[in-house]
Amino acid sequence: MAQENEKLDKVLNLLRKSSPLLDSSEDIEKEVIKRIKNIDYSGTVLAEAFDFMFGWIYIGWVRRCLVVASVALVLLFAYQQAIILRRIDYLSRQTVVSEKENTNTHADEMAKMLVVLRNAGRRFPSNSITISEKQMKELLESVNELQLKYKDLENLIESDPELKKMIQKKLMENNRTKINL
Amino acid sequence: MKRNSIKLVISLVLILFGSCNDPETVVTNFVHADGSVTRRIEMKSHEGDINKRFKISEIQVPLDGNWIIRDSCEVDKKGDTTWVRRAEKIFRNIGEINLAYKSDSGSNKGFSRYTGFTRKFRWFNTEFRFFERIDKKLTFGYPVKDFLNSEELHYFYSPEKLKEEKENGPDSLKFKALSDSVKHKTDKWTEKNLVSEWIGEFSKLTAGKAGNKVTFQSLKSRENEFVRIIEKNEKQLDSLWKTGTLLKEFLGEENALKYKSEADSALSIVTANLFVNFNDFSMRIAMPGKLIGTNGFIDSSHILLWPVKSDYFMAEPYEMWAQSKIPNTWAWIISGLFVMFVLTGVIIKIVKKD
Repeated sequence: MAQENEKLDKVLNLLRKSSPLLDSSEDIEKEVIKRIKNIDYSGTVLAEAFDFMFGWIYIGWVRRCLVVASVALVLLFAYQQAIILRRIDYLSRQTVVSEKENTNTHADEMAKMLVVLRNAGRRFPSNSITISEKQMKELLESVNELQLKYKDLENLIESDPELKKMIQKKLMENNRTKINL
Repeated sequence: MKRNSIKLVISLVLILFGSCNDPETVVTNFVHADGSVTRRIEMKSHEGDINKRFKISEIQVPLDGNWIIRDSCEVDKKGDTTWVRRAEKIFRNIGEINLAYKSDSGSNKGFSRYTGFTRKFRWFNTEFRFFERIDKKLTFGYPVKDFLNSEELHYFYSPEKLKEEKENGPDSLKFKALSDSVKHKTDKWTEKNLVSEWIGEFSKLTAGKAGNKVTFQSLKSRENEFVRIIEKNEKQLDSLWKTGTLLKEFLGEENALKYKSEADSALSIVTANLFVNFNDFSMRIAMPGKLIGTNGFIDSSHILLWPVKSDYFMAEPYEMWAQSKIPNTWAWIISGLFVMFVLTGVIIKIVKKD
């Protein structure tokens, strides 16, 4: 047995020492390069990019840190939103005060203009007014009168549905639908 | 009640002589995310004389010539004219508002008022807090919350309009009872403040005097007794004080004679601090983003509202505050992408393992 092993070792050593002689190593090199060039790399680029992006999944501590960070972010988001929603819910149950704003949005525009006109003598320099006091009085009186007449007319129409219908029809015919009675 | 009668007389005097031209004022702060504040003052007056109307010295908050001012008038159905002045100014930061408060020459110039603004980054949201604060007048007073329960406190700080609505609404009996209870308890609160403040001021004036055995602690331990004496003698309070009877009960005969002038001085200081000449107004605040907290009321325009009355900052500072938030959209996107990325990685790992 020992003799057989010795023989095998000798043969192996002989084979190792007698390596084949390459006549055209350049040809072999060229052939190798040629074969490498012919390999299809389309799938490999994607795989490399994928490995680059998700290489961390093979590193235990990086993976654990990123998972902890994501969980922390989700928890923080949930906590903040829960608090905010609770606060908003509390506020929405509060009584709304019907305190009127100190604005004149609901004031009668015409009445306001009349007051401005009435006080024009006090509010603007006299030389900027080109109409006489008498004319101003006449204007104010006529506006007041017109307002009263308009109100009367409005009441009259409102109290008579047939008349209202008729006027609305007439207005429609005249293509004056903008006036809403 | 004696206090009410004193207060009523003082109020009437102020109304007749000093404050007849006080406009009804609403101050609105439009707070912006960068810390700047657009401040709008709306004043209403029924005073016909243009020279008496909206005088700077009678306006409740700082106002000067640098404001954009617009005047108009309203006429109600009865034909009564109300003059309205609207003033607006943009303050670059709260420092400018505080400076305006310091140099105020209006009717409430004697009161320490200031504003504050903070902005906190909370990753998903940025939170804002704005407040207007009026410092307390009394040094030794008790907070009103020691006397009222939460429901009564809410009623106490409510705007007049809300109180009126509740007292005339379907639960009118309940709210009238609540109103009476608040009135009764706040009377007690004022009496206690009066005594506490007097003890404090008197102790300060007599401190360090030779042979003084009337210390702050000894007087404070008898505070409730003093309050009971005042309650018992409320109808003859003035005459009993003038004759020195009350002081004798408080300090004993010898000390009453010895410290009569200090006791009178202390009472003058307390009266001046307790019955202040403050012109009420309403404060409104509009915050940037979504409102998340406040101690104010919400008005019909969905803006926060606070009534500002002297009782509110008598014994503790009155702070009108609001908190809001603006979501940071970029932080939401970044966080979402990050969580998705990690989740995808974990899924890949699990799949490859299998």
